[in-house]
Amino acid sequence: MTRVNLIVWGVVLAFGAFVVYESLELSYYGTDFGPGPGFFSFWLGVLVIGLSVIELARTLRGPREPLPAAFIPGRDGALRILYILAALVASLFLMAPLGFSLCMLGLCVLLLRALARLSWWATVPIALASSFGLFYLFRQLQVFLPTGILGI
Amino acid sequence: MESFQHLMNGFLVALSLQNLLFATIGCILGTLIGVLPGLGPAAGTALLILITFKLEPTSAIIMLAAIYYGAMYGGTITSVLINVPGEAASVVTCLDGYEMAKQGRAGPALGIAAIGSFIGGTVATFGLVLVALPLARFALRFGPPEYFALLCVGLSLVMALAGKSLAKALVMGIVGLIFSLVGVDPIEGAPRFTFGITPLLDGIRFVPVVMGFFGIGEILLNAEKSLAGVMAGGGKVTSFLPRREEWPICATSILRGTGLGVFLGMIPGTNSAVASFMSYAIEKRLSRHPEKFGTGAIEGVAAPETANNAYANAALIPLFTLGLPGSPTIAILMGALIMNGLTPGPLLFTQHATFVWAVIASLYIGNVILLILNLPLVGWWAKLLKIPYQVLVVIILVFCIIGAYSLNNSVFDVGMMILCGILGYFCKKLDFPLAPAILTLILGPLLERSLRESLSLSQGDYRIFITRPISLVFLIITAIILITSVRQALPSAVREESKEAQV
Repeated sequence: MTRVNLIVWGVVLAFGAFVVYESLELSYYGTDFGPGPGFFSFWLGVLVIGLSVIELARTLRGPREPLPAAFIPGRDGALRILYILAALVASLFLMAPLGFSLCMLGLCVLLLRALARLSWWATVPIALASSFGLFYLFRQLQVFLPTGILGI
Repeated sequence: MESFQHLMNGFLVALSLQNLLFATIGCILGTLIGVLPGLGPAAGTALLILITFKLEPTSAIIMLAAIYYGAMYGGTITSVLINVPGEAASVVTCLDGYEMAKQGRAGPALGIAAIGSFIGGTVATFGLVLVALPLARFALRFGPPEYFALLCVGLSLVMALAGKSLAKALVMGIVGLIFSLVGVDPIEGAPRFTFGITPLLDGIRFVPVVMGFFGIGEILLNAEKSLAGVMAGGGKVTSFLPRREEWPICATSILRGTGLGVFLGMIPGTNSAVASFMSYAIEKRLSRHPEKFGTGAIEGVAAPETANNAYANAALIPLFTLGLPGSPTIAILMGALIMNGLTPGPLLFTQHATFVWAVIASLYIGNVILLILNLPLVGWWAKLLKIPYQVLVVIILVFCIIGAYSLNNSVFDVGMMILCGILGYFCKKLDFPLAPAILTLILGPLLERSLRESLSLSQGDYRIFITRPISLVFLIITAIILITSVRQALPSAVREESKEAQV
């Protein structure tokens, strides 16, 4: 866990430094009265840097901690996470060209088959209800979801 | 008296057929969310905001509030029937509730939880009526420096109670503040942290962040484990009432739970889990038979469930009167208010009196609806537990996508939600609490604006915060809380070293 903590606080430190760097590009003092747009973010960045330096020092000085059991997901768990993320990212890029209904139909079929291991008999009605069904339901609620090049 | 007159007017609005319908739908949806493990009140309320987009503000907030306290009760059902808490506040209910269910007494456990929740919620709402106007009037004296100092108190309390590591809580709080700065600077109009990405000019909206953190993040974390069998089971429920000899014990437990829940609800930074755990601990300490706790003691269900629901209603007091959200779910409600053009705080009672009193009246009605709904419908809720979790995951993901998209008809927000989901997953893995980030994301613009307006008033002189008495008192309270938190966070080894050095 010590190495993980070092990496994590290193990333936080880099984030703080980035915020400070970006804040310096903005006006610190702003108008004649009161601070400018860079004032608040500058001090927030400084705080992040300060906290991460303290935590890095504490981690380096403290005893070595082993990685907790099940910290890194097993092969099956990692695969499930990848399936979900892949389906989400794909739907992000395909929603505009394909439309909500077709895109969600694909997402549901993929995940219901891969994650839930449902039969086609169960997958198809659930996927249709969660895609075309919800599209229609939300249209009734005046929430308009995207339609793709096919107009659905 | 004036408050009660306003309340009566509120009842006229809340009792309209339309608002009654929305309160009922909210209670049903909230209970559903509470019943389903993996979806807490925060994620559930965020998910269901999309349903209220097209409603008029009063109906929308009545429905969201009903979802909120419905979810608080829904978590109890799974705790009692299958030993799986729907949300953190119900964890303690498992200890005796599930034991009662194993003894064939699931009905009385759920019954006393519903009755306790009703009493706790109703008393807390009565407290809201009593306290709201005087507190709001006092808060009208606040200028930007007082408001800034008050926000500091709220934020410091959140940091203090945010988790195992103060540094992690502080970092998450600051991350939320930095997220809130993205977009156009409110005073000078300069773009900040937008990196040339046009949608970022509108800032980072809280709905995609909340859905990502609590919805997607939770799903990814659950996906690590085998998803099968998470929701198996369900018990038979027959009678709902405790035995005659149990009533006096339950009555005192409900009384104490109510007092504790109302008290903690008024303090920003606490959460309902603190209320239920503390209530359980107090009951055990005061009991003549503490050994019975954990083996099916009915007061072990009555007290925490009452405290939990009393907390849920009382937590609206600082939100409505001071504009301070005490928990992530309340922060989401605050976001929904802002989305509807209503800024929570003292002015709400003068500028939108009809709205605020209608919502308060709806809390009473909501508690009655919950009581009527939950007792006869427990069997139905138990059946829901037979839906495989893997199927629910897919449906939740679709709802998350709809929620993030429909906020602004923007695919960019869906991307933001996915990014926040990944960030939320890692934060949960690494024990970085998410609640401070959500609270500061919502409070950030208010905090920055009040700070900069104060400094503009004083022409850059920071003494404005300590020369005004109310602001000074709030800052002293902030300092005390932070110092106490840091002292508690210091590793015991360091304290031991300093003790030795003193000797």
